[in-house]
Amino acid sequence: MRQSLATRIFLYASVILTCAMLIFPIYWLVVTALSQPDQLRQLPPKFWPDEPRWSVFGKILEERPIFLWLGNSALAAMGAVTISMVVSVLAGYSLSRFRVRGGQSLGLFILTAKMLPATLLVIPLFGIFRMTGLIGSMWSIILAHATLIIPFTTWMLKGYFDTIPRELEQAAMVDGCSPWGALYRVILPVSAPGLAATALYGFVLSWSDYAYARTFLTNAQGNWTANLGITTMKGEYISNWADISAASILVALPILAIYLFLERYLVGGLTAGSDK
Amino acid sequence: MAQIVIDQVRKSYGALHVLKDFSLDIADGEFVVLVGPSGCGKSTMLKILAGLAEASSGTIRIGGRDVTDLAPGDRDIAMVFQNYALYPHLTVASNMGFGLKMRGTPAEVIDRRVKEAARILDVEHLLERRPRQLSGGQRQRVALGRAIVREPAAFLMDEPLSNLDAKLRSICVPRSERSIKGLA
Repeated sequence: MRQSLATRIFLYASVILTCAMLIFPIYWLVVTALSQPDQLRQLPPKFWPDEPRWSVFGKILEERPIFLWLGNSALAAMGAVTISMVVSVLAGYSLSRFRVRGGQSLGLFILTAKMLPATLLVIPLFGIFRMTGLIGSMWSIILAHATLIIPFTTWMLKGYFDTIPRELEQAAMVDGCSPWGALYRVILPVSAPGLAATALYGFVLSWSDYAYARTFLTNAQGNWTANLGITTMKGEYISNWADISAASILVALPILAIYLFLERYLVGGLTAGSDK
Repeated sequence: MAQIVIDQVRKSYGALHVLKDFSLDIADGEFVVLVGPSGCGKSTMLKILAGLAEASSGTIRIGGRDVTDLAPGDRDIAMVFQNYALYPHLTVASNMGFGLKMRGTPAEVIDRRVKEAARILDVEHLLERRPRQLSGGQRQRVALGRAIVREPAAFLMDEPLSNLDAKLRSICVPRSERSIKGLA
């Protein structure tokens, strides 16, 4: 009994400590945003500014085209996710259902593509986009983000389709559907939570990209995404960290809103009841 | 209902021969049960009949037509799966009418046939529910109803009662037999 109490205390302490470590940067971001810029480096640090500068958000919105940047990030993410979902639904479904010679190797190839970082691929992609004249256009990052997202979403969807019983497609085919019809009319509706979760994951991957945006869009100010826009707020010698923090918070809010909105669609269990 | 002729069907998975020259004639309206130990090829034969698996050799004729190379949807068969395979995103009524809808049957005909089958199987009060809201026995009846509504040339059932408890089974066996024979 005593040992179990000690174990529980240890577990609770570990969890609280870990949560604190994870939440601290966000808390500090808020403190930094609300502080006067000249008070940021004082010792001992203040854990909450004396006069929180709530006006900083309004100031940032006036000075910087935050909405333009957010709009561009959203456009890039939606374009990339649309392309990725079309490709990875078909690829994931094929990997899940069909036993083709070389299929396993292809699957592993897609898996290893996951491990390639953006910084590795940015130069060859730059070369390709320069040849095709896409540098500076939103298409460059939409396509680049798609190459980032597809390996992840293919494997996520493959795993999800594996959990759907094959009898569902078989029943649909006995009922007169073609294999395409079975996919479209039965499997996709049943997979809605999995598709939503996968699309959200892809959206976040695209939203968080910096390397591709920095490389392909530097000279196209009208197409800057949010991450790129915020980076330009960093000065050569002096940076207004309070403003940068405030801008970062504004840019994080849409993703937070999307997560909160989509949370109920991410609940599984849609296939409950299809079988015994 | 139609005659089924299974002629010298073989099925091998590499070196494993599951079906060896299996032949069977089933008369119009006949009620046939395949029994045997696990792994002897009952489900495989059923899937080949349905068109969900390909025979290594041999032919299948349903109602005088050679269906060996036809898709499942073109064989005029209906199937009840061991795990029912009800469409979880559709209501019971839509589940039962799905096959007719795929064939372009007019909505009034679908509605009439679904209600008739639901009456026979005593699931009329469940028509607007989703599969996850049904008990095992109710799901089994809906799966049967989905097959009955199609009025196919042949019914194929893959261990449809194995997931029911003994008491339900004792009710459902004669009821299923009556329903199917009533249609024959």
